[in-house]
Amino acid sequence: MPDWRRYVRERLSLPRLRPEREAEIVEDLAQQLDDLYRAALHQGATQSEAESAARREIVDWNSLAQDITRSDTRQRHSLDRRAIDRLEASPRPAVALFRIAAQCVADVLHGWRLLLQKPGFTAAVLVTLALGIGANTAVFTILDTVLLRPLPYSEPERLVRIWESNPARGWPQFGVSQPNFLDWREQGRGAFERLAASTNRPHNLTVGGETERLPGVAVTHDFLPLLGVRPTLGRNFLPDEDAPGRGNPVVLLSRGLWQHRFGGDPEIVGRAITLNDVPHTVIGVLPEFHWGRYDVFVPLRPDPNENRGDHRLSVYGRLKPGVSLDQAGTALAGVAANLARQYPESNDGWTVTLNSFFDWAVPQESRRPLYLLLAAVALVLLIACANVAGLLLARAAGRRREIAVRAALGASRARLVRQLLAEAMLLALLGGGLGLLAAQWGLNVLKTAAETAVPRADEIALDHRVLLFALGTTVLTGLLFGLAPALQATRVDLQGALKDGATGDGRARQRARSVLVVGQVALSLVLLVGVGLLLRSLMALIDTPPGFDPRNLLTASINLPESRYPTAKEFAAFHQRLLQRLRGLPGIDAASIASGLPMDGNATMMEVHPDEAPAAPDGPAPSAQWRLVSPGYFRTMGIPLRAGRDLEERDLAPDTFDLRGAVISETMARRLWPGQDPIGRRFHPWNATNPPVTVVGVAGDVRLFTLDETPGPAVYFFFVRWNPIQIAVRTQGEPGAFAGLLRDEVRAIDPGVPVAQIRPMQELLGSTTSPRRFTMTLLAIFAGAALLLSGVGLFGLLAFLVAQRTRDIGVRLALGARRSDILRLVVGRAMHLTAIGVAAGLAGALALAGVIRSMLYGVGARDPLTLVATALLLVLVALLACWIPARRAARVDPIVALRCE
Amino acid sequence: MFSRELKKGSTELLILSLLEDGPRHGYDIGKRIEARSGGRLRLRIASLYPMLVRLESRGLIKGRWVEKPGERRRRFWRLTSEGRRVLVRERATWKEFMAAVNAVVGGSHA
Repeated sequence: MPDWRRYVRERLSLPRLRPEREAEIVEDLAQQLDDLYRAALHQGATQSEAESAARREIVDWNSLAQDITRSDTRQRHSLDRRAIDRLEASPRPAVALFRIAAQCVADVLHGWRLLLQKPGFTAAVLVTLALGIGANTAVFTILDTVLLRPLPYSEPERLVRIWESNPARGWPQFGVSQPNFLDWREQGRGAFERLAASTNRPHNLTVGGETERLPGVAVTHDFLPLLGVRPTLGRNFLPDEDAPGRGNPVVLLSRGLWQHRFGGDPEIVGRAITLNDVPHTVIGVLPEFHWGRYDVFVPLRPDPNENRGDHRLSVYGRLKPGVSLDQAGTALAGVAANLARQYPESNDGWTVTLNSFFDWAVPQESRRPLYLLLAAVALVLLIACANVAGLLLARAAGRRREIAVRAALGASRARLVRQLLAEAMLLALLGGGLGLLAAQWGLNVLKTAAETAVPRADEIALDHRVLLFALGTTVLTGLLFGLAPALQATRVDLQGALKDGATGDGRARQRARSVLVVGQVALSLVLLVGVGLLLRSLMALIDTPPGFDPRNLLTASINLPESRYPTAKEFAAFHQRLLQRLRGLPGIDAASIASGLPMDGNATMMEVHPDEAPAAPDGPAPSAQWRLVSPGYFRTMGIPLRAGRDLEERDLAPDTFDLRGAVISETMARRLWPGQDPIGRRFHPWNATNPPVTVVGVAGDVRLFTLDETPGPAVYFFFVRWNPIQIAVRTQGEPGAFAGLLRDEVRAIDPGVPVAQIRPMQELLGSTTSPRRFTMTLLAIFAGAALLLSGVGLFGLLAFLVAQRTRDIGVRLALGARRSDILRLVVGRAMHLTAIGVAAGLAGALALAGVIRSMLYGVGARDPLTLVATALLLVLVALLACWIPARRAARVDPIVALRCE
Repeated sequence: MFSRELKKGSTELLILSLLEDGPRHGYDIGKRIEARSGGRLRLRIASLYPMLVRLESRGLIKGRWVEKPGERRRRFWRLTSEGRRVLVRERATWKEFMAAVNAVVGGSHA
């Protein structure tokens, strides 16, 4: 019998059609010739008669080829494949280069057509990739901004942050006193080009009768030059304007304030504005620069006659070129040692600590969560890759025939792998492009969330490094999910593939997909355990009693201008009136003021010298946080009084305003007078030479800065005079509703005193956990995505398995298997894979416990409850994923199943 | 035997008509044209096949590989819904044309 396929293939050439289309036509024509030949034999013709009858059907092969090519308008190739093949054979390098380019173009075009043919598959892959690459790009952008990009100052590597430190008392980083700063600046010239200082100084701005409190900062004249910031309008401060008691009040405005309050007036320089009731001359407008959110900059005017023991300034230095951080530290420590000898009373035990600007701006504890997030999001991408690889493997099964035909037509394996990889790359690049869009969108959302959670959040933006990262990720992703299926798919048994239909064993392929699913389950588990642990930490944290009652508590801050409130007398008159008015209002249970409230970020520390000999005579004097509070403060805050009484008028000397009595915290009482009654004991606050104060009461411990801290000693004195004044109001019902009332009451007493930072205490408390919540929320989103992807991966594998095994299942059913047996078969397979994945994931989670330990609170890194709950969750998801395939399998009709082949 | 032009113009209609009852493979189509025309119409594969390709390109018919037990796979062609519409239209046009031709040709004899 003649081989009609060979007969046709030798005569018909369709170079402008795609190879599989050409093969199809060859087969079709051969089939028809064969039919004719057999029919002729059937009608009694001899073999040679039948053969020539069939041959007569097509005489002019060239015109047939032309006719077909012309007719087949849809499938025509844009490039002449034969021409490419001819180029491929050429040994000349220039031609070879062109050849590769042409091949790539052809491969990509071919891939493009295939993608368009399967829109569902393509969409599934692209969405998966876009989310994976997009999330990675977004997280990398944050990491890039925070950790990799240089700080936005000129030569930031030479900038350092400097503190006074008192190692003996355990104060590694403390503020600097004005005289000390001046001496450092004078004597530190060998190591530093400049030394500058700043301190927060909010200002009341009055424009047209309206007074508003603005965030402000006092800086020394060389602060802005130190950072390399130049005003866009006007000039910097002159040294003369920074000297105490000299020059007129001057001010530099932020760009934002200039635009919003002064309409961007170009003539603003030289005009006077009213700050704290005093006219200040505007000398310039600053550009946008990343340094807190200050609207008003005034000269600090450091005074050598100020108290050397009053540590309030933040100090910054610019190193001389070639001077290292250590050298500068040694030099400045020498200066500090001299000062300690010169002024032992105030400076004994004090030295300096230096940190690079970067380590200060991006502290260690805020880096770890970022690395954790990047690792997590990379895992998600890995899982996404596994899914896409699984999809490609499944599709490769459907394309066995196409690949076999191409191989039969002479394509080498390398050529086929290249073709499949080109398709994968095309998918990856499209996914990457979409991912970049997703990242841009996601960053807008993340940026808001990151504001209170991540340092430098205001600088977050895509840049060239991020684009490179996205491109690299994309290419790597394409290789990752494309290579395995490509190698797998091209390892075909030609004969088998061409002979039988779409099925076939494909055992290796199934094994590959099973491994992918197991890996996905394991990685998801690791992520979920991380989320579980962080969630439990956050819950433990929220459950931690802060030591006061944050519910129905409204807080606010006011600043009394020195011009109208020069002494403690005026202060007392103001706040007594304010508290009286507030307490008289309906809906307000209690009101108090303080120099600082819990969780508001204000810290004031002092030494405490007990009257009697201390427990450890040679040890350093203990230190304590101190606050000035009005009577009734403990009731307003819901802080329990454990012993003694609240502060009263008599705890203050009537005329001198000297402190006489104090309420101390439980920890302080325990620390100073263990096992004794502290009431009536005396101690010298700040300095051993100060007059003693008597303990009149003991209050419960309060967490002052974060919920995860251990409360330290604290001392409360009668409120004398302090700016800004923090107000706390205990309300009936929603505290936010009382904001207007509070503002009105203050205005009624003095319209020139604006109320700022009106916030419910719950909000303040919430902001202390916002970095944790940020990390946990992102991680939860990633883990959720991972779980979903794993579920879909498992579902895909099982659905594919059931579809392929339909016949097998039909046979089993025909042989008497029950539906429940079939159900068990599919579910059993799913559970088998899940169990392996869960086991691997648990092992991974246990191994990685150390990574997350430092970020936990109140829960162990190997918390059994979290591990078990997570494993159960994954099993549940796996059961859901196999539900539909299992039911489909159980519903197989044996008759249909057996007939379909 | 009819002229080559007449045959070519009407072959499309022939193919579409044959596929009206159900999908057929290439050899079957050729065979049936021959049988229905009483052996008067005979299309060789060389002329039939490009026609099928063209009809498929125009979306009037659709080819599909079908495997039946004990046979090798064959390409079966079936009418698309678009093909069915075109068939109805072409058939009406053809009948009008034939009626017109008959009227003219028969008229001279009457």
